[in-house]
Amino acid sequence: MNRLVSLRAVCALLLFGAALLVGCGSDGRQDAADPGLRVYRHSTNGVPTSLDPVQSATAYTNMIVINVYDTLYAYKYLARPFELKTNLAAAMPEISADGLTYTVRLKPGVYFIDDPVFPDGKGREVVAEDVVYSIKRHFDPAMRPQGAWLWQGKVAGLDEWKDAGSDYEQDIEGLRALDRYTLQIKLVRPYPQLPFTLAQGYSAVVPREAVEKYGRDLALRPIGSGPFRLVSFDKTRVVMEPNQNWRWQPVDIYAEGYDEETQGFSGVAAIHGQTPPFVDRFEIDFIQDSAAMWNSFTKGNEVQITGLPVELADSVLASKRPVTLREDLAEKYHITSEIETGFVYQGINMDFPEFGYHPDPAQEKRNHALRCAMIKAFDWNARNESFYFGLGVIFPGAIPPVVPEFDPELSRDSVTRDVSGARRLLAENGWTPENLPELLYGTGSGVVYRQFFEQARAWLVEIGWPREKIILKQFATFGDLNRQWRESRLPYIGLGWGLDYPDAQNTLQLFYGPYRAPGSNLTNYNNPEYNALYEQAAVMQPSPERTEIYRRMNRILIGDCVTIIGLSRTRIPIWHREVVMHPAGGMVGGFQYPFIALSDGAGGIRQAARSAGIP
Amino acid sequence: MELLQYSIRKIIAGIPLIIGVTLISFLLMVYFGPDKTFDLLGKNPTAEEIAEVREQLGYNKPFVVRYAEYLRELVTFDFGRSESTGEPVTGLLARTIPVSAALSLPGFILGNLLGVLLGLLAAFYRGGAPDKFIMASAAVGMSISFLIVIIAFQIIFSSSFGLNLFPVRGWSMDTFGDYVRYVTVPTLAMVFVALGYNTRFYRSVIVEEMNRDHVRTARAFGVPPAQLYYKLILKNALIPIITRIMFSIPFVIISGSLLIEQYFGIPGVGKATYDAITTGDQPVLKAVVALTAILLVAAQLLTDILYRAVDPRVSLR
Amino acid sequence: MSTRADQLHALDDVSGHRESLWSKAVYKFRRDRAGMWSLAVVLVYMVVAIGVIFGWWATSWAELEGGKWEAPSADHWFGTNIIGQDIFDRAIYSTRTSFEVGLVVAVLATALGGVLGALAGFFSGSWIDELIIWIMGVLDSIPFILFVAAIAYSLGDTPYAMHIAMIATFWITAGRLIRGEVIKLRGQEYVEAAHAIGVPEVVIIFRHILPNTSHILLVQATITFVAAIKSEVILSFLGIGVKEGMSWGLMIAESTREVLAGFFNNFLAASALLFGLVMAFNMFSDALQDALDPRTVAGE
Repeated sequence: MNRLVSLRAVCALLLFGAALLVGCGSDGRQDAADPGLRVYRHSTNGVPTSLDPVQSATAYTNMIVINVYDTLYAYKYLARPFELKTNLAAAMPEISADGLTYTVRLKPGVYFIDDPVFPDGKGREVVAEDVVYSIKRHFDPAMRPQGAWLWQGKVAGLDEWKDAGSDYEQDIEGLRALDRYTLQIKLVRPYPQLPFTLAQGYSAVVPREAVEKYGRDLALRPIGSGPFRLVSFDKTRVVMEPNQNWRWQPVDIYAEGYDEETQGFSGVAAIHGQTPPFVDRFEIDFIQDSAAMWNSFTKGNEVQITGLPVELADSVLASKRPVTLREDLAEKYHITSEIETGFVYQGINMDFPEFGYHPDPAQEKRNHALRCAMIKAFDWNARNESFYFGLGVIFPGAIPPVVPEFDPELSRDSVTRDVSGARRLLAENGWTPENLPELLYGTGSGVVYRQFFEQARAWLVEIGWPREKIILKQFATFGDLNRQWRESRLPYIGLGWGLDYPDAQNTLQLFYGPYRAPGSNLTNYNNPEYNALYEQAAVMQPSPERTEIYRRMNRILIGDCVTIIGLSRTRIPIWHREVVMHPAGGMVGGFQYPFIALSDGAGGIRQAARSAGIP
Repeated sequence: MELLQYSIRKIIAGIPLIIGVTLISFLLMVYFGPDKTFDLLGKNPTAEEIAEVREQLGYNKPFVVRYAEYLRELVTFDFGRSESTGEPVTGLLARTIPVSAALSLPGFILGNLLGVLLGLLAAFYRGGAPDKFIMASAAVGMSISFLIVIIAFQIIFSSSFGLNLFPVRGWSMDTFGDYVRYVTVPTLAMVFVALGYNTRFYRSVIVEEMNRDHVRTARAFGVPPAQLYYKLILKNALIPIITRIMFSIPFVIISGSLLIEQYFGIPGVGKATYDAITTGDQPVLKAVVALTAILLVAAQLLTDILYRAVDPRVSLR
Repeated sequence: MSTRADQLHALDDVSGHRESLWSKAVYKFRRDRAGMWSLAVVLVYMVVAIGVIFGWWATSWAELEGGKWEAPSADHWFGTNIIGQDIFDRAIYSTRTSFEVGLVVAVLATALGGVLGALAGFFSGSWIDELIIWIMGVLDSIPFILFVAAIAYSLGDTPYAMHIAMIATFWITAGRLIRGEVIKLRGQEYVEAAHAIGVPEVVIIFRHILPNTSHILLVQATITFVAAIKSEVILSFLGIGVKEGMSWGLMIAESTREVLAGFFNNFLAASALLFGLVMAFNMFSDALQDALDPRTVAGE
């Protein structure tokens, strides 16, 4: 008896094993059950942590938040440089003459998605009070918010509201709903970038009753009024469906900033005049490993868009300028390139007396020479070739090419390698291998960071720095590294910055004295002249005068040799030809999702098999 | 009745282990784990905001208080919410553990089954060509890093550079077909890596039994090999085999396979744990550690009970 | 009652027995062809590692000598990596790292396991035994990666965080084996004899009992060596391993981005050298085990 039982068990296991090995060929595609379904599979190389708008600090979170929630403003799908358009707001804000009062009118008849939290489970209308509430949340520590810095010290009464204990029943002078559809924001000083902040996930509109009912579950279960609704979300994938009750309108690609010359190749014009939603299911796979990402992309039935992994550039591209694909791949895929709205840079921490500020002016002068020599040692071109396809855009100073204030005429000396110049500078200022200070190079744990370090170390060795004095310290997590920076404990900083809005003010603030660590000025640079100019420009509307101030600040920064800056990476999106879209990174990141369609194979877009079902 | 008493005694005896594991792990994560503060802050945090977040994370409380909280959570099995995503920890475990179990079990079962078969075969032809071949293959298999196997198998079986038979990454258990599609390549990799170790282990266990006097005698008396193996050798070899398997199970289920989950993008508990380690997500870590310890105690108990089922002479003491 | 002379004789007898075990083992090992070959390979690796330590070769592993991903050439036998470093030099340099990790971990972990195992075994049943068993159980039950990661973070400044983490986990197997063996030996005549003539317990444990477990310790050390090398690769790949210098794990981590581009040099160089060392060491360990097993007869 016993023997029979165990033999049977063994047989079952063997059969199971055999099924595993054999059964694989017989299976069909995942969506074989419903071939009529239009499924688009997007991909990103990072994972959103939380889907609560108050925690949409990363681009990965932001791009989902702005699709499941509504924002007052949005960025146009195709316009470059980036331009705002209305979204939940009915018009661009009305700004008072003194630039201090903004009035925004909301579109009536916008509803949250259906959810048990609302009476009868039917989504209620979105009103101005919801916007007020959603911004207030950033000033309530219990919400674990991350976006307060956008409005801190700018909106009348908001900071005081927080200090008084964040009581939502209390009104705020500078942030009020005048009526059901009118929002008024009063500023303490002009803040021309305000409308940009209303196009960020941080300001997405959340219904108060959902926050009160679901609390921190909101991180997983968004209740919004955006173009999509969430179906599922975990650390590998998010699945969304179009929100059928959203205010879908026929697409006007010209209003979205369509440019036939640069974007015509993609066939995106096929959506003109059509009414979305164009897909029935919108999936985003989070794939951090580029090999896995590329495997999935080239499989055909998995993700339909990816960024080209740097390491594939040589084998996949036919030419780099412009970016074109090898012929056999060009039949299957579209490709383009775009400069990121951000850059990478290295900073020298001015708090360290060996490198930065020093009570003794003579020593400070020597330190200045040391920093300038470090800048001259850095080989941006080699960095670009090794890690950014050789397609990154190298620019001097802190005003990147993607903002309108960029100055193409600026001298490129600060981004040009000059080994002999660096050696001379060191020699003239009495620096020798014996007295050069130890340089602790703190960085993240990835292998790329290690390669960055080895490359930078070799460059410094070439200007005469002893190799053993350049020490690598890898931090296992970004959180720990970030903490060291924020507490000003590392002399050398290397990181990237993503712009929050297309305005150089957002990058020049990286060197504004009062924003020193733990703020975003991690170099702790503090130049009174620079600070004064920053304060002067911060309240100015865009104008040639303001641009001139920005550029002056930029020259001061370069002259002081505080930062090795910078390079804007070029992203190379590549996507399946059956997808009708034009990729959009940067500020748009996510706002293009409602426009993505699938091709019908004849120059048009695929219509829903069950279009009758869509009201 | 005897069994019940025995079990209760065993479970009580397991408490020091659970305390030790949780205490040491918690010490490590509290004093040495990553600091989550700056992950939760925006771009220009003020000193006040930093203090608020630290307070929320409980970083300011004394260790004893925090450990006491941990023990309370352990008893009620309510570990609160993940500090990264805000997801309730129990929900996270309920979502990820079945995935890891479903991912690792086929490989675990096949690896052990094939290991026993090959071990038997090698032992049967001890010293002969099949033995040499099997053991040499096992030695080669043991010498190839898991990492290399995973990378190579994904390219060979899943990518368009290779056979392109299976999905590169992802996970679905909606239908049995889906499950098979996603689990096959990870299973192959796991079997490949485990087989060398298992074969060697089982061979040595079986050889040990074969060398026993009563087996030699039986063989000398011409007992047919099948009977010899089944009745005398396998049965006695079951004890070390059970031990090995039982004590692997908690790790198979709870720890999953980090490398596989990471590389194949499978939302299992191994990846969730590793993410929690690297981001300092203490609630998740606390739960995983506690669960592992509890399961180990349970495994110990089960092993003892199984011993007796296999060999009634073993008494439950 | 045995006489004092008898007792002393018993002690002599034991050491004589030990000698014969070792001389027999050497004899058996020398007749094991696979074992000798594997030993030769291990020695070659060792010479390579020693050469790196003394700066005889692979000195320019950190320099940027060429372009990105150059093909193999007379100057760069395995080509260059993404920032133009010589892959051959780096793979050779990594041999040193592997040996260093393997040796440090194997020696210290086995020593720790030997000492604690012997203590637990000798005092089995007492609170010392209970305590050591409890520690072993606890350390065994903490998920390995969590443990290593926690230690790696906590000792972020020292380059030996990974070593310490491995030692703290790998000693347990040796500890268990030695404990079992010592319990066996404790009951033997010569130990009781030593007791009877008033030899202090510490001396008994470390002079008379522990040396008799040396064959187990040696085999265990070789097994730990391999385990340490393999773990190092995975930990370095995950970014919580080697801090200073270069290692095969780091090279494989670099290569995961490169195999896509069809550039396999890093992957192949590191995998091949790693495989060779692990394979040879595994075989060496097996041969050693056979040679030291008193039950096997030479030439069986």
